[in-house]
Amino acid sequence: MASILLAVALAPCTATAQAVVAPEAGPGESSRIEFNRDIRPILSDNCFACHGFDGKKRKAELRLDTPAGAFAIRDGTQAIKPGDLSQSELWHRVASPDVDEMMPPPESNKQLTAAEQLLLKRWIEEGAAYQPHWAFLPPHKDNPPELALPARAANPIDQFVQARLAREGLAPAPEADRLTLIRRVTLDLTGLPPTPPQIKAFLNDPAPGAYERLIDRLLATRDYAERRTQDWLDLARYADTRGFADDRPRAIWPYRDWVIRALDRNMPFDRFTIEQLAGDLLPAATDEQRLATGFHRNAPQARGQTYPVEEYRLKGVTDRVNTTAKVWLGLTMECAECHDHKFDPISQRDYYSLFAIFNNIEHRGSGMGQGGPTMPYPPPPGATTTGKPVAVPVMRELPAPRETFIHLRGNFLNRGEQVGPAAPAVLVAAGEPQPRNRLDFARWLVDGRNPLVARVVVNRFWQSYFGHGLVRTPDDFGAQGTLPTHPGLLDWLATEFVESGWDMKHINRLIVTSATYRQSARISSTLGERDPNNLLLARMQRVRLPAEQIRDQALAVSGLLQPFAGGPPVFPPQPDRYWEDRDLPGKWTTSTGHDLHRKSLYTYWRRMALHPTMELLDGPARVVCTVKRNLSNLPTQALVTLNAPVFVDSAKHLARRLLAEAPDDPRLRLELAFQLCLARPPDATERDRFLSFIDTQVIRYAKAPAPDLAAWQSVATVLLNIDETITRP
Amino acid sequence: MTPPLQPSSSAALTRRAFLGRSAGGIGSLALASLLNDRAFAEQGSLPGLHHAAKAKRVIFLFMAGGPSHIDLFDPKPKLNELDGRAIPQELLKDHQQFALIRGTPNLKGSPYAFQHHGRSGTVLSELLPHLAGVADELTVIRSMHTDTNVHDPGVNFMNCGTLLGDRPTLGSWISYGLGSVNEDLPAYIVLTSGVSDGQPLLQSFWGHGFLDSRHAGVPFRNSGPPVLHLDNPDGITTGDRRRELDLLQWMNQRQHQTLGDPEIAARIASYELAFRMQASVPQLAELDGEPDKILDLYGADRVKPSFARNCLMARRLVERGVRFVQLYDRGWDSHTDIDREHKRQCAAADRPIAALIADLKQRGLLDDTLVLWGGEFGRTPVAQVMGRTWGRDHHPHGFTMWMAGGGMQPGLTYGTTDEFGYHAVENKVHVHDLHATILHLMGIDHKRLTFRSQGRDFRLTDVHGEVVRGILA
Repeated sequence: MASILLAVALAPCTATAQAVVAPEAGPGESSRIEFNRDIRPILSDNCFACHGFDGKKRKAELRLDTPAGAFAIRDGTQAIKPGDLSQSELWHRVASPDVDEMMPPPESNKQLTAAEQLLLKRWIEEGAAYQPHWAFLPPHKDNPPELALPARAANPIDQFVQARLAREGLAPAPEADRLTLIRRVTLDLTGLPPTPPQIKAFLNDPAPGAYERLIDRLLATRDYAERRTQDWLDLARYADTRGFADDRPRAIWPYRDWVIRALDRNMPFDRFTIEQLAGDLLPAATDEQRLATGFHRNAPQARGQTYPVEEYRLKGVTDRVNTTAKVWLGLTMECAECHDHKFDPISQRDYYSLFAIFNNIEHRGSGMGQGGPTMPYPPPPGATTTGKPVAVPVMRELPAPRETFIHLRGNFLNRGEQVGPAAPAVLVAAGEPQPRNRLDFARWLVDGRNPLVARVVVNRFWQSYFGHGLVRTPDDFGAQGTLPTHPGLLDWLATEFVESGWDMKHINRLIVTSATYRQSARISSTLGERDPNNLLLARMQRVRLPAEQIRDQALAVSGLLQPFAGGPPVFPPQPDRYWEDRDLPGKWTTSTGHDLHRKSLYTYWRRMALHPTMELLDGPARVVCTVKRNLSNLPTQALVTLNAPVFVDSAKHLARRLLAEAPDDPRLRLELAFQLCLARPPDATERDRFLSFIDTQVIRYAKAPAPDLAAWQSVATVLLNIDETITRP
Repeated sequence: MTPPLQPSSSAALTRRAFLGRSAGGIGSLALASLLNDRAFAEQGSLPGLHHAAKAKRVIFLFMAGGPSHIDLFDPKPKLNELDGRAIPQELLKDHQQFALIRGTPNLKGSPYAFQHHGRSGTVLSELLPHLAGVADELTVIRSMHTDTNVHDPGVNFMNCGTLLGDRPTLGSWISYGLGSVNEDLPAYIVLTSGVSDGQPLLQSFWGHGFLDSRHAGVPFRNSGPPVLHLDNPDGITTGDRRRELDLLQWMNQRQHQTLGDPEIAARIASYELAFRMQASVPQLAELDGEPDKILDLYGADRVKPSFARNCLMARRLVERGVRFVQLYDRGWDSHTDIDREHKRQCAAADRPIAALIADLKQRGLLDDTLVLWGGEFGRTPVAQVMGRTWGRDHHPHGFTMWMAGGGMQPGLTYGTTDEFGYHAVENKVHVHDLHATILHLMGIDHKRLTFRSQGRDFRLTDVHGEVVRGILA
């Protein structure tokens, strides 16, 4: 038996890792082939590299990404003749066993499956209808589907999700219990666990709408803004250092605080966009608006003595282009830095036209002081020793624009044609005016007509609650990205977002009040088999907490967490000589007092040597824009939460808190420990097992100065490390 | 034909999918096998090798800062002859600027004597007397070239094939492709030594880029326990920890039974491995069982950190199946007093490197272990003068690296630079080619080890790289 198990486990992953669920209502025997759903992925994976948008790499002058290219008659033959398989050269090539004829050619290491061949065949027979790539078409707000059992839907999100489930013959999971719900939503919205009084208040609110009232309370907290800021800072590649070898500090934390304030006030996303990309260019720009432009000063910046100045300035512009495209457009523009995009209709000219928009930011010469403009910002009282204003990097436009050239093969010394500022052509309707500078461009992004922006943003919101977006490649809405699992829902949310006046809290609220979000996370064996990756959303998805929340939660439940928000970054203890052993310049001076136990959002973020607690728990270095974090599950992480000083301190303080708040009865004490860490009481089996563990520990530590404290510290260590604690339920 | 790699597949997925599938009936049995079966090694993403592997593991001896090919491996009589004359203008064609030298510098020959060694007649400088003893094991490539003359972009390039350091490093790709064969240790370990020369060691040098973070290199620390937070807190014995873990795992297993989430099973395994590492890593790092004569061979102290000790550690690590060990030895960035600095570096590195090769050989490990030596670039054939001393600037256009062991043609000297040692001219080997060759030796087609990120299949060699057939056995 064991050997069979092992054989299953070691079988090639191809068999087990495949989703059993098609993206959306796959082409049944009877339904018509749909280009975007059925055909484009095949062509994109197998054909477009040589027969796609990139003119330079195109073979045999054949392109298959447009109907004109595919249907063209050349030398009497046609790649595709709609409706006529026998006259379609593509079909002959695809079906050919002859290595000289077959497509894709053997040397490409690509091969169509029989099922893919069949789809192509049916598509041609049905008339080979093309569709523009879905993400370049404007979102369409369909009415949410009617349900046979409407009672289980809390809002339109559920109508989309449950209608799909009904088609698949599945039912949504039952609602999670109240204790799970309050822990889930409090961790998600605020990054902190619910406190025992908050739990009690929620349980004791039997009136309808209790859950919604809870949500409204949480959305109004500053913790909510801080938690959303954390996600945004990954996108903004925010760090407290400049990057590269010297990786010197820079005072860009006032920008981070700007983000917190903006999200706390629920600044509409269009304004949020315009101020960060071009606040300096707004008429009569305020200090706050100029501060917002720190967004693009987060780009890593090399010191000019050893790094060729112009080359590394241009690397900064490249980073701004790539980041902007990823954050707002969900496009992999960087592919077009060296050549036309192979899969999406983005030309190298498009790339450098966007480059021209970001190429006019002031950048001062060489040497140690190299950089760009700054603005003075008064530090909060007591935050710095001098009390003098800090110089915050911001953007400022040059009076006369720099010339921008296409960099042939991406090499800046190899200048091609000169280009002017413009947005990617595929996104600008014929006859529409082109954005000519950063401000135009920012306004153009959020004028409500861009097909990508709202979809890309709501998809990331979805990802922060469900662990995955509706489009599972949140950084790629292009042809190589995955199709949305629920296209109707994505479009509904995107249009709702724009129609609400780009109201971010509104969309976040919609998501967390949905019945879909409130489902139990239990994976039944049938569901585990049918939809292991939860594409259909027939249940909730447990998600391991991000690095910051694992630490913050431990501090919070032990009572150590300090609530102060904003200000310069802090330096919680890190291992001795952590920087010195790597010869990194600078000295880590451990913070004192309150600053020892601030939220991890405020931990000094050093790109080239992240604080090891953050690094080991998958915090990104933020050298480049991070749209989705890795979530690994490693022994080195277990060592952090078991042995790192901050977790040992948290366990000790949690034990003290338990002894102080429940002095007499071990049962009450255990109850409190479970409430704090898991937002639930122990069940009878757990209670017995823990109490007997405590008895053993008290005997073991009988000779210690405080046997009770030592025993309860053991309990605290266990509770801070179990999967349930470090996972959002 | 081996099918192309599935980008979404990984050992974790296999394991998780497997456990997830068994969550119903045989879950607890699967769990038991996970916890107890030491043979349940971490699998790589490759369903199988693309071709037979010549090397199973790599030791990359990285001479950070850039060692001088002119003074160690690539003698240039013409350069010696023209010592002191201004650099010929034609060499500066298509050439932006030196890293630090300004103006027109003078040619500088090597003050060191070179000799043929071994049956192969491999040429080495007098600064490497010990290496001479294993000269017949080396495959010296004199025609390397790279894309930058700046340190950290250069180190990034040598490790991940791009300048910025946001991509996976060579060791990460190998860990991703082939997995680990030791359950108690990471697949990719980094050891550091040498004098500070102002060039910091950055996280990106062993970064995992877009790959899962379990493929990141784990830097062993030189002071205290080699792995961060390896030691239990004060007053907690192994027995105490075990009792805590028993309760913790009991909770995790109950949760797993209730929820069926395969991630919980993976967590259980992680905690067990962490517990085993607490025992295995100190044993490893304390050089348990190494006789004095082996320490003497390397010139290593049992306790004191050094490059020599790291070479011995490297052998111990590959012996235990670690796939990729990278040693960073710092202090090679000799701008101003190369005579003093390179003599110091060679004195510390020459003997242990020779010992490592001999030791691997006597244990039969050299046949399938690839040893790789080099820096992020070489050094200029022109002098950088500073008062009464001189040194050499960064030089990316032609420099030397060498390889030894698994699958290499021993005793070969491959490729040439021009008569000044300036440009690689014959049988040029670009960094991408080197990467393609290393993967080839490991049984991997560099074009077929891919990971899909941002809609594109990325590879270590980007769209470049040719296997250097001429150096293979």
